[in-house]
Amino acid sequence: MSARLIMKLDVVETDELGGGVRRLVLRHPRRPLLPPAEPGSHVDVHLGDGRVRQYSLCGDPADTSRYVIAVKLEREGRGGSRWVHEHLHQGAVAHVSAPRNHFRLSPQATHHVLVAGGIGVTPLLAMARHLVRAGAGVEMHYGAPSPDAAPFLPELEALLGPRLQGWWSRTRSGRGRFDAARVLAGRDPGTHVYVCGPPGLLDSVRGATAHWAPGRVHAESFVPLAPAGPALPFELEIRSTGQVLPVPAERSALSVLREAGLIVASACEIGVCGACERPVAAGTVLHRDVVLDEAGRARSMMTCVSRGQGRVVLDL
Amino acid sequence: MTIPLSTPLPEQGAPAWRGALLHIHIAPAASYEMEELTQARLVAGRGIEGDRYFLGNGTYSQLPAVREVTLIESEVLEALARNDPPLQAGPVVLAPHEHRRNLTVRGVPLGHLVGRRFRVGEAVLRGARINFPCKYLEQLLDRPLYLPLYNRAGLNCAIETGGVIRPGDAIEPL
Repeated sequence: MSARLIMKLDVVETDELGGGVRRLVLRHPRRPLLPPAEPGSHVDVHLGDGRVRQYSLCGDPADTSRYVIAVKLEREGRGGSRWVHEHLHQGAVAHVSAPRNHFRLSPQATHHVLVAGGIGVTPLLAMARHLVRAGAGVEMHYGAPSPDAAPFLPELEALLGPRLQGWWSRTRSGRGRFDAARVLAGRDPGTHVYVCGPPGLLDSVRGATAHWAPGRVHAESFVPLAPAGPALPFELEIRSTGQVLPVPAERSALSVLREAGLIVASACEIGVCGACERPVAAGTVLHRDVVLDEAGRARSMMTCVSRGQGRVVLDL
Repeated sequence: MTIPLSTPLPEQGAPAWRGALLHIHIAPAASYEMEELTQARLVAGRGIEGDRYFLGNGTYSQLPAVREVTLIESEVLEALARNDPPLQAGPVVLAPHEHRRNLTVRGVPLGHLVGRRFRVGEAVLRGARINFPCKYLEQLLDRPLYLPLYNRAGLNCAIETGGVIRPGDAIEPL
């Protein structure tokens, strides 16, 4: 996961949307503009106890003067939302990263089907605002137990009109639970679907689109860091010579390469500076740096901190 | 001006210079945005009060190195802004609150100050090592900086004598 700047932002406005959802508006105390966020982006909120939680931005992506997030109090959760609800009131200071986006709108799509489940509506709300402004083809399907338990429903109704369909699973009238197979049947190849919500909703959309080209189905997922865990021994193979170098549990790949006379530049030796990056030809790397993004991780490793499973072939 | 070979060279690297402190920035922890100060207290052997190096919670190497306070030349920022030398597709704007060094200075030949003592306001610093550019910064700011900052990413210093410093303070060799 790549590094992001952390800002201390003022919580300038909060309101309770019902169903335990609090909306928070964040502004920079000194600068009028925040780093811009594409629709679908999220920020990391650094809680006071060292934990970090991701929340999607649900404001208007065109308005870079503020970030808007919405946090549902999950009493049975891991405690992040409880911390937010206890500490982040109007006037508080929130420690928030610059945004990043793992849930991008496809520029190839001719029509966008947004499928929201409950509080999973947040990134899709930002997408809907953007798509409506751009005059793009969009429709939203919003699943919740009832309209009362559907945050931002009035905004979405105003924004989308008949392009919004509510699926209320616990009300007698209406369409009932979201029917992915029916809604997504017979779509032309320019249609892309974006889903964010509980695992069951993601599964139903994936099931209904199993025959679609994979690039047409987008689901929000947060990429976890490789578990720190205890270091295990592994092997390095040098592709050009076939030489195999064992890396013991207590040593770094970097130090083993150096001892073998394969000079590797380094600087920080904690996985943040990028100096000791080496290309990987084959094998499974356990990435433990904060430098490489997903594309970088597919082709190289930071030899100071990252490790391997079994044998890793370096393209040297 | 040509210096005749018979002229005794000064003991310091750069013969005569006098610079100024332009900006003071600190960050409370690793990755946190830098905050500008109108005055700061330097504590000998530790760092700037309130800064991550002082508090010991920065993202930095565990290798033996002195990093109590870090400096960078404003002349380097100006060179980046005009893409000099032309290492990138175009100019790179790096504002004083972005580069993550504590002190932005003008007219101070940092490259000559490794191992040298010099005064900043009330404080006395000793140059430790030239700062190595870092992809971490490139990622935080999402712009190319690693190559443009190569060999001119600033100077890491020890604080020999603490004291109060303010923007506008003179910086002089000792």
